[in-house]
Amino acid sequence: MTAVEEHRRTRWWQPTLLALVVALLVSPVFVGEDDFPLSTYPMYARTRPADVAFVTAQGVAVDGTTRPLGLDVIGASDDPLIVAGELRAAVSAGRAVQRCELIRDRLIDVRPDDADVVVRIVTEQHDVIEHTADRPSLIERTVHAECGPNS
Amino acid sequence: MRLRGTTEAPAERLAAFRISLGVFIIGYVAIRVGVFVELGSRERSRFEPVGVFRLIDQPMGEVVNGAALVATFVLGVAFVVGWRFRLVGPLFALGLLALTSHRSSWGQLLHFENLMVLHAVVVGLSPAADAWSWDARRAARRSANRAGVARAGALARAGGDRYGFPLLVASVIVVVTYVIAGVAKLRYGGVDWMAGDTLRNHIAYSATRLELLGGWASPAARVAVDAAWILPPIATLSVLVELAAPIALLGGRWRNIWVATAWLMHAGIYVLMLVGFPSPLFLIAFAPFFPLERIVDYRATLARRGLATQA
Repeated sequence: MTAVEEHRRTRWWQPTLLALVVALLVSPVFVGEDDFPLSTYPMYARTRPADVAFVTAQGVAVDGTTRPLGLDVIGASDDPLIVAGELRAAVSAGRAVQRCELIRDRLIDVRPDDADVVVRIVTEQHDVIEHTADRPSLIERTVHAECGPNS
Repeated sequence: MRLRGTTEAPAERLAAFRISLGVFIIGYVAIRVGVFVELGSRERSRFEPVGVFRLIDQPMGEVVNGAALVATFVLGVAFVVGWRFRLVGPLFALGLLALTSHRSSWGQLLHFENLMVLHAVVVGLSPAADAWSWDARRAARRSANRAGVARAGALARAGGDRYGFPLLVASVIVVVTYVIAGVAKLRYGGVDWMAGDTLRNHIAYSATRLELLGGWASPAARVAVDAAWILPPIATLSVLVELAAPIALLGGRWRNIWVATAWLMHAGIYVLMLVGFPSPLFLIAFAPFFPLERIVDYRATLARRGLATQA
C-alpha cells in the first residue's frame, strides 16, 4: 500500500467518533436540559396562545402618557431576544427595582432630555393578533417597579 | 465500516471552509463587539452560567473579558490565514466557545450561535491549514527535501478522509441540529404546531414584543397575520424541511434542494419576525456540504477564458 493509498483509507475510529458526536448533540434532548452550545432547540417550538404576557419597561412622561423606551435603553442591545429575556429573568429573580434604576440611569445617559421621565417595569398581557392588526389589545397590566426623579 | 464517498475531499475544500468560517466569525464578533465588551461590566448577581461557565460558576470580569475578546479576535485572524494552526485552531475555538457561552449566561440562551461555535471546534481540531495557509507555504519553502515536498503535495491532492472527515462531521452537526429543532416542534407543539394557529401567534408575538420594547416590527407580520390561511402550510413545510435535513448528506440535487429550502425558511423567519440566524442566512452553516474549492477553480477558468478571448 502506498503512502497516498494509506492516507486515503478510512480510519477505524471515524465511525466511532461520528457516533459519539451525534450522541453528544442529541444528549440534551434525552437529558431534557437546554444548554450551550448543545441544545434542545426549543425556540418557537411550543404552541403559543394569542393572549401573551410581556415584561417590558415603559417611560411615563410628566403628562401621564406612556411610551416604550427602546431596545438600547432597556437592554443596551439591538436584539429583542436578549433584551426581553434579560428583563424577564430580572423580574423572575426579584430584581425589578434594581433593573428599573439601571434602565433609568441608561435613559438619562442616552437621552438627557428625558430626565423627568419615570421608568416603570411592567408585565402587560396582550392579544398579540389584535396588537399586530393595530387594534386595542391590552388585557391586563401589572407594575413591578417604578423609579423616577424623586425616587 | 467504511463511510464510502462521503469522506473524500481535497485539502483545499477544508481550507476553504476554514477561511469562510473564520472570516464570518471575525465579522460577527466585530459587529457585536460592543455587546461582548459590555458583558464584562455586568453585575454578578445577574449571572446564570451555561456551558463551560457552569464549571467555574462566575462571569469574566472586565479585564479578563476584554483580554478574551482581543485574543479571540487575533486568533481569528491567525485562524483565517492558517498560521501555526495546530495551536491556533483549538485556541480560537476555545476563545469563541468562552465568549459565546459567556454571552448566553445572562438569562437568555442564544441558539443562533450554536452552529457557528460547533463548526469552529470541528475545524479548529482538524488539519484545515494543510492548504491555502501560511503554514502550508512555510512548510513548502523550508523543506529542502524536494521528494518530501512532492509527497506532501501528493497527500494534499489525494485528500481522502483526512480532510473529508471533518467536513462530514460539520455536515452531520448541521443535519442533527435541524432534526432536533424539527423534533422539538413535534414534541412540544405536536400536530397543532403545524395545523393550528401557532405560527400565526408566534409571528404576532414577535411583532408585539418588538413594539412593546420600542422597536419596529416587520411590516410583513401584519400581512401574514391577516392572511392566516397560508400559515399552516408554511408551518408544515418548515417542520418537514427540518426533519428532512439528512437528505442533504446524499449530495447533488437533494443537497441543493434541501439547502435552498432551509435558507428560504430562515429568510422567511427574518422577513416575518426579524429573527435572524446569521450562520445559515449567510450560508456558512451549509458550506461543509459543498466543494467550495471549485469556486476558486471556476474563477481561474473564467480568468483564463477571458485572457484567451482577449488574445
